[in-house]
Amino acid sequence: MKLVKNICLLGASIALLTGCNSDLMDLTPYDSIASGNMWTTENLADMGVTGIYNVLRSENVAGDLHKFDSYGVSADYRDGNYSLLRGNATTGDGQFSGYWKINYEGISRCNDAIMNLPKAPLSESKLARLTAESKFMRAFFYYRLNMMYKGVPLYLEPAELDELVKGRNTEAEVWNQVITDLTDAINTADLPDKYAAGNADYGRVTKGAAYALRGKAYMWTGEWAKAEADLRKVGDLGYGLFQGEYKQLFKEANEQCEEMIFSLQCIGESGYGNNFTFRYGTRSSFGSCWNTYLASTDFVETYECADGKPFNWDDFIPGYNSMDQAKRSVYFLRDGMTEAEKAKMAEDGADLSKYLADGNEARIRMAYESRDPRLMATIITPYAEYFGANGATAYTYTLRWPYRGFDTADPFDLKTDTNNRYYYLFRKFVAEGASEIPNREYSPIDIPIIRYADVVLSLAECLNEQGKTDEAIEWVNKVRARAGAALLNSNQYTQVSGQDNMRERIRNERRWEFAGEGVNFFDEMRWKTWHETKFKSGAGLKQIWGSMQASYTWGGDYLYNWAIPKSEIQMNTNLTQNNGWID
Amino acid sequence: MFLTSAGVASASPTDLGIEVPESDVFVASPQQAKKTVTGTVEDAMGPIAGANIVEKGTTNGTITDMDGKFTLDVSPNAVLVVSFIGYIEQQITVGNQTSFTIQIKEDSQALDEVVVVGYGTQKKVNLTGSVSSVDFADQALSRPITNVSNALAGLSAGVQVMQSSGQPGSDGSKIRIRGVGTLNNQDPLVLIDGVEGAMDLVNPQDIESISVLKDAASSSIYGSRAANGVVLITTKKGKAGKLSVSYSGRVSYAQPTNLIDQVTDYADYMEWLNESFENIGQPNHFAQSTIDLWREKSKDPNGLNENGVPNYIAYPNTDWQEALFGHGLINDHNVSVNGGTEKLRILMSAGYLDNPGLVDNTGIKKYSLRANIEANVTNWLTVGTRTFASQEDKEAGNFDNANNYLRQTTPGLYPEWNGQYGYPEASEESATANSILAFLNAQDGKKQKTNFNTTLYSRISPIKGLSWDFNLNYKRYWEDNQTWTNPYEKVKFSDGTIMSPATEPSEMTTYFYNRADYSYTLQNILRYNITINKDHDLGALAGYEEYYYKRDTRNATKKGLIDSSIHTPGSATEMLSVGGGAFDRASRSFFGRINYAYKSRYLFEANLRHDGNARYHSDYRWGTFPSFSAAWRISEEDFMINTKNWLDNLKLRVSYGSVGNNGGDDVGEYEYQSTYGGSKYPFGGKLISGLASTSIANSMLSWETSKMTNVGIDLNALNNRLSFTMDAFVKNTTGILFTPSIYLTAGNKGAPRKNIAEMSTKGVELSLGWKDQIEEVSYSVSGNFSYTPNKIKKYKGKLVAGYDENGEWKSNIGDVASSTSAVNPVIEDRIMKEYYIRNPYKGSGKGYAADGVNGGPTDGMIRTESDMEWLKAMIDAGHTFMPNKTVSKDKIWYGDYIYADANGDGIYGGSDDKEFQGVSSDPKYNFGFQMSAAWRGFDISMNWAGAAGFKLYWGASTGYNSPTTRVGVALGTDIANDHYFYNPENPSDPRTNLYAQYGRLVNGESGYQNVETSSLYLFNGNYLKLKNLTFGYTLPAHISKKIFTDNLRVYVSIENVFNITKYPGQDPELGAYPEYTSLRQFAFGANISF
Repeated sequence: MKLVKNICLLGASIALLTGCNSDLMDLTPYDSIASGNMWTTENLADMGVTGIYNVLRSENVAGDLHKFDSYGVSADYRDGNYSLLRGNATTGDGQFSGYWKINYEGISRCNDAIMNLPKAPLSESKLARLTAESKFMRAFFYYRLNMMYKGVPLYLEPAELDELVKGRNTEAEVWNQVITDLTDAINTADLPDKYAAGNADYGRVTKGAAYALRGKAYMWTGEWAKAEADLRKVGDLGYGLFQGEYKQLFKEANEQCEEMIFSLQCIGESGYGNNFTFRYGTRSSFGSCWNTYLASTDFVETYECADGKPFNWDDFIPGYNSMDQAKRSVYFLRDGMTEAEKAKMAEDGADLSKYLADGNEARIRMAYESRDPRLMATIITPYAEYFGANGATAYTYTLRWPYRGFDTADPFDLKTDTNNRYYYLFRKFVAEGASEIPNREYSPIDIPIIRYADVVLSLAECLNEQGKTDEAIEWVNKVRARAGAALLNSNQYTQVSGQDNMRERIRNERRWEFAGEGVNFFDEMRWKTWHETKFKSGAGLKQIWGSMQASYTWGGDYLYNWAIPKSEIQMNTNLTQNNGWID
Repeated sequence: MFLTSAGVASASPTDLGIEVPESDVFVASPQQAKKTVTGTVEDAMGPIAGANIVEKGTTNGTITDMDGKFTLDVSPNAVLVVSFIGYIEQQITVGNQTSFTIQIKEDSQALDEVVVVGYGTQKKVNLTGSVSSVDFADQALSRPITNVSNALAGLSAGVQVMQSSGQPGSDGSKIRIRGVGTLNNQDPLVLIDGVEGAMDLVNPQDIESISVLKDAASSSIYGSRAANGVVLITTKKGKAGKLSVSYSGRVSYAQPTNLIDQVTDYADYMEWLNESFENIGQPNHFAQSTIDLWREKSKDPNGLNENGVPNYIAYPNTDWQEALFGHGLINDHNVSVNGGTEKLRILMSAGYLDNPGLVDNTGIKKYSLRANIEANVTNWLTVGTRTFASQEDKEAGNFDNANNYLRQTTPGLYPEWNGQYGYPEASEESATANSILAFLNAQDGKKQKTNFNTTLYSRISPIKGLSWDFNLNYKRYWEDNQTWTNPYEKVKFSDGTIMSPATEPSEMTTYFYNRADYSYTLQNILRYNITINKDHDLGALAGYEEYYYKRDTRNATKKGLIDSSIHTPGSATEMLSVGGGAFDRASRSFFGRINYAYKSRYLFEANLRHDGNARYHSDYRWGTFPSFSAAWRISEEDFMINTKNWLDNLKLRVSYGSVGNNGGDDVGEYEYQSTYGGSKYPFGGKLISGLASTSIANSMLSWETSKMTNVGIDLNALNNRLSFTMDAFVKNTTGILFTPSIYLTAGNKGAPRKNIAEMSTKGVELSLGWKDQIEEVSYSVSGNFSYTPNKIKKYKGKLVAGYDENGEWKSNIGDVASSTSAVNPVIEDRIMKEYYIRNPYKGSGKGYAADGVNGGPTDGMIRTESDMEWLKAMIDAGHTFMPNKTVSKDKIWYGDYIYADANGDGIYGGSDDKEFQGVSSDPKYNFGFQMSAAWRGFDISMNWAGAAGFKLYWGASTGYNSPTTRVGVALGTDIANDHYFYNPENPSDPRTNLYAQYGRLVNGESGYQNVETSSLYLFNGNYLKLKNLTFGYTLPAHISKKIFTDNLRVYVSIENVFNITKYPGQDPELGAYPEYTSLRQFAFGANISF
């Protein structure tokens, strides 16, 4: 009996242990939501659209605009070895696949939303607004793809994996789709013109952004009049130029000013801020940053004098231009060099006979202080100060040569990753002091994607292309006035001599105004000027006096149409490659 | 596991290796009454059932029962002869004693060796499947191993064991049974006393034996997790009898086995760096005056500079490899108590391991406790527990990525002086050249792993031959990491300037990470054994098992400490991040086995498991895994009677079965479910929740299946002195879980995993052993070898590449390869992960001829002016040389490689020019070799292990194996000493080295001709290691008795004695990118029991 009793007891306990878990194997994830439930509530619909905006944070969208800036004229990559710039990029290059992939990721999120938002229990106006936002975003991603690849496959509905085998649509078809989506957004009454600063929805798509983007799209198709109309509209909706100091435009206090039309929203939380301070800053910036990207030496020399006169070294240091590059490094030496430093510099080629023991720094500073104020607001030039930090303490550093050290003591030399080289460094977007940002990886300052100055200068370009040069001058002067540069047609240097001259001036204005913002590369690609600007003879990563550290090589005009990623062509044989690319 | 197998060659039902519960007792009847003696016969593993006890010179005898007990009536002056097949016969004079504990020793080639198999044990001779067993206790006692897996290297045919790191706490080995047969998780299923677990959590000293189930027939009882083989670990258990205490301990001195040499003379380093600038047409980086200064000061290292600092500190020439990898003293001590009564048997043990490793602040201390207790409550009920707990305390040194930081520094800074860390001394040196020691110590804290594992079990034997086991295992595992900023200063020692001040408390961070796992396993097992008509033995087993596992993690970082000594998250001021996650797993299984034997000649076995796994949709969740095996003991046949004098055993085995693989940790838990994951974005300055479809699900996901056929021969001959085993197998795996690459157009979404690929692995395994005794010297020699090539039978179609009718090169590589950028993509019809990369160009050595194509450098490097002329002529003729295309100092120059044009399109080194290399990183051959000898109390043993038929891709990395340089980054000695140099403007430059092994030095880490992915960086990994060499001495019993011990042995043991290899990196066993060198240990140890 005891045996039977024991067996029963054990049997019961087994039944208990197994029976409790009849659903033992029906497990669901703890941190995500089943697809079937998506788009079923207003909350989920909101979150689905927020998920589209999240793509803006990614690399190859707005998260690494500093890299795109180094493709353009204003910046250089410290290692100087991007294959696009060395002329040896192939169709398998990660740049092409990465850019393609992330923009299509954005598109698929948009398609998902556009298709499924109607299923959610939303008010009519909310559905209209969210749909308009999603369409803007889809247009934005296709716009980015079309700028580079010139014709990509159009997917406008969620596609199954095996349906992703379309061939390329033409460039015109893609522009057409971009314009259609933006037009839908513009025609949506429930899409606000503009969000006021401080609004909880600030950062979402607005009608202003839609007009601005459509205007920019028309510029790619060369429809100047349509572009002009759209760009004019942006100002009507309440956007305008920030009227404070140019440098302050890139501070947190002004990230929601009237100039910002569409920007990458950043907050000071891990994963949700910007890392421009990290990449543009220096070891003397808060959190000990890396000067991964440097301001280009050739580019700095393009900044005009404040009166609009083209900059010429010989005006400041007679004979500079004809001197050997290594020799002229003498002009950048600090005051009060030690004998050992002098010996070392002489050995490196500096012509020490030109050294002014007491006024060497003052002489070189003149070459920068009399320039377009945007130069020193954007870039740290020799012997300029930078308000930085070491640990939690703020210090004012100075960019000197040669570097002696002293992070926390006089003379506070600015410390970089490249102390044995003398480079121009970025000031724009780089945190100042010890409390502006919480971490080098996540600065809370929004990064502009489209700002009103872009609209103004684009408008000027449209006007000039239509022969309305005088009107174009007026618009350009708004930007120059804000910057503190001499107005066009205000003196002999700024006299506009015609449409072609004005075109050149508008282009330069854009280069100076947007330096460091990742705008210029796309401009050069549109103007087809990339070859002559970025790859002009002798171009490369240079020290301030012009010594070459890494030279750039032009691969060929095929670079104006990026390669369709090799692996994608290999998997989807309906795709065709752009001309000129070899593997 | 709760069973022992009885064995006597005569008519006993247990003879056939069918598991019989211990309660299934049979006792021989007593003989005539003279004097009654009782006793127990046991061996190192415990009581022996079925041993023969015979009064010498008579037919009076008995056999021991299931507990090893016997009772026999003998004449007063009798001598007992104790024998058991496979054991050395013993004779004992009865005298006045009436109770005996008789220890018999195993004859090492014992035919009746008992082997642990799935849900039971079996005698080796009766195995029908392919199982190897390791007598682990011997290994654990003599070798300074810090964990279980490392000890298995070389010991067993078909079991490849490779250590991947020497870092304390993560120095376990990767185990592959019978090569690789799948594209995902290849780790065998590890069961510790029947419950899935991590091998290296077990204290090596607690292990009795390890069995490796290699073929499908042996492992299919474990169903959907068994395709990579099964390792069964059995821990020691208590034995009835005298309580004995054993101590085993050792102290070992550890040093690095091999480090990658980097240039340590800073002046030389600077000159070579300058050469790399010069080579690409840039000015020198380091001033000649700096170089000269260093040379001068190096001549007088102990001289003082103007600040009174010795030159060797002010003008350093640091060897960072040595500065990082020092030496350590490892302590390992274990105590165990074993014994008990008939009713209650216990084993308790405690272990302590202190492994400081070689690197500061990265050591571990490990504590472990075990209690294995078993009680016979009644004669039909046994209950017991196996309970195990361990804790590992690890120092929190920031070792991650150390090899990368070790690369990113130069000899020009001194490591550590007066508690401060060095800063680059030369003004040209990069300010960011690392001090690896500062980096290592920049983080402090503790990392703790705690493990608690208990099994309660009961066994009920209601009637003879029938038993019911109920096991409940409960496990918890915690990880508790706390790390915080450890402030330090970096100082330019030459003048004492603090170049980098210590972090202030307000900038310090504190971080914690907690992981908590729990799981339970529940098993019910019914067994029944019966013998019918003496010749027919039948056994059956049926079981049920269920398993649930859950893991939770959470972590947070806060910034701003009150003081560098206060680290609690609560005391820090600013929240930086909080995170956490969870997942769970579950499975349910039914399984059974039937075995049948006829006259112990013909053996048959069939297994079946029906497995369900929560990882798959309910429609695809369940799978059935059958297996069949048979053996024929030819030597037992009547017609073999004439061979009995030399042939002890000849057995032929055949098996076929099916097993599964659920992908282990490589497969996510919820992959069949399509979900939306978090995707946040801030609006209006506030973070808002977002969702996005983050992966594409495959609802038809299921496990993969391997079908394995195995044929084997076992042979023992010449009085068991010679043993030989050979197995041949074919394993075909279908439905391999793999994530094929998807269109970029699908975006970032994770591609759906599919049951897509098929693979085939074939193999041969051989083991050969010889054991004999010459006079007083006993010795043994054994070796094993396995050959396990594999091939992908199916993936996404055949690779088709060639020219179409328009003369255009077409290739479907993007579609049929798992990756177009990986050096070892998965492609159908190839070895798994076969290398597929460019080769350097191979020309005739002649100049440019009219057809041009075959001239040029013989090994691909432009070495001579004639090579350069050929190159220029080729470019002029329209050929393209990727990636740098043009001839110039910063593009293609003397000392640069050009790559082969495999497809003949005139583009040399294009992406279509990749070629299969016929080899992967998985060894095709594995081998091991053991020798031992003993003379009186002295013993010596050695263990060799090796692998061959594999290559490692060790891509160009500046500072180790690449001729590229970077200021602030190291330079490998091999490169420095033998790199190309030629300056056409000054051919007589003394640095000229046209026939160098490595290309020219260039400044810049990427973009150059010589750092392209190519077979230049593919290195043969073959190695043969003397893993262990041990000398021991055991005190004679009469002496050890005098010092009140039963047994005392002392030994000296060397682990990782030396390595024979041509591999240029650290150690091919550790893989291409090792982070922590393996350890060579010199151990002195003692084993004492009393």
